Amino acid sequence: MHVHDLNPKKTLVVVIIFVLIIIAGFLTLKQPRFKYKLSLQQSLNMLHNEEACFHPWQLADVLSKVNGNVVLVDLRDNFTYSKGHIPGAENISAYDLTEDKYFNHLKDLYNKGVTVVLYGKDRLQANGPWMWFRQLGFDNIKILLGGYNFYKAHKADLSKSKEDKSYILGIPDYNYSEMAQPRNASMGEAKKNKKKTPVIRRKKKTTTASGGC
Amino acid sequence: MLLLVTGALFLPQKPEYKQTKPEDLLYEIIQPTRYVTTDQVAKMIIDKDPSLELVDVRDVSSFEKFSLTNAVNIPLDSILSKSNQDYFGISGMKVVFYSNDDIKADEAWVLTRRMGYEDTYVMTGGLNCWIETIINPEIPSDEAPYTAFERYEFRRGAQMYFIGVNVESKTTKAKVTVHRKKKEAAPSGGC
Repeated sequence: MHVHDLNPKKTLVVVIIFVLIIIAGFLTLKQPRFKYKLSLQQSLNMLHNEEACFHPWQLADVLSKVNGNVVLVDLRDNFTYSKGHIPGAENISAYDLTEDKYFNHLKDLYNKGVTVVLYGKDRLQANGPWMWFRQLGFDNIKILLGGYNFYKAHKADLSKSKEDKSYILGIPDYNYSEMAQPRNASMGEAKKNKKKTPVIRRKKKTTTASGGC
Repeated sequence: MLLLVTGALFLPQKPEYKQTKPEDLLYEIIQPTRYVTTDQVAKMIIDKDPSLELVDVRDVSSFEKFSLTNAVNIPLDSILSKSNQDYFGISGMKVVFYSNDDIKADEAWVLTRRMGYEDTYVMTGGLNCWIETIINPEIPSDEAPYTAFERYEFRRGAQMYFIGVNVESKTTKAKVTVHRKKKEAAPSGGC
């Protein structure tokens, strides 16, 4: 006879305690502060999402308060921000993004359905933080194409930038193959690619024997 | 027992790479050390640095028209494919991503860094900047600091290496004037 058959109630109590311990363990398990919501493939697909970008000409509506559902966040450091920024923009340096105070603020904006537009001095400065937030599931966060530098150069008439596509990056500015073509085969890398064609010089036959007896 | 086996079936599949924690990823994203300049890349190519692995993330046709020396082509859209991951995470190798500018390269960096691959970098400015700095370097102004002239001299040398342009240094060199002693007509003194 098995030991538990003698006292089935005791067995039941042990099982219940065991289950309760497991449940308590799950409940008190420390959740990570940040968690990826998008898989890597979803993150890659997101890069093609036009909706995740904010064009400079769209700023015109934000600045004239026509679109009040947008919060601009300047990721540059406080000193650079104080020298000049887009009117109404909040300053959260990229180094402070994980601080509770700022992260919770951005979380609140997400919960309220407010669009957040991140910008740095150029697009590159905001690109990494923007990708990071998107991977964490903040689909309300967009990136300002062209960054502050483009805004500063075109702030007099932002609506005109609709025709100006110079802020859209990823386009080759030059014909690389033509410009970087080796120009003088006698030097450098070019030397390896072009082989000299050997010129065979033959001695000219002379009609009369020169010299000798 | 049956419950455990059923539970195990529903567990998410573990990826082959060790994903970087989100907080660590952001910390690395904001570090300027993940960028390398076109000058640094040019120097590594010229020095034939064996640890350099250039990864061109543009599409295949753009890569076939032009690419940097010994670069491999991994278009951004296929960066997650298993076969391409063999290029990353090789001990002692520095992976440098480049594209037309630096945005696509930066995106490739973020994705591969999330996958846990270290020693990856982004070439700032991409090929557009390569043309402007290495292939067609601009002469510094007269007021420019000494370092700008040094950098320009390096770029002229790199230009000669990559496209074989005859270099005539455009920096002003002090002319050396040789003053010879005038020969005297008749020897003076002596016997």
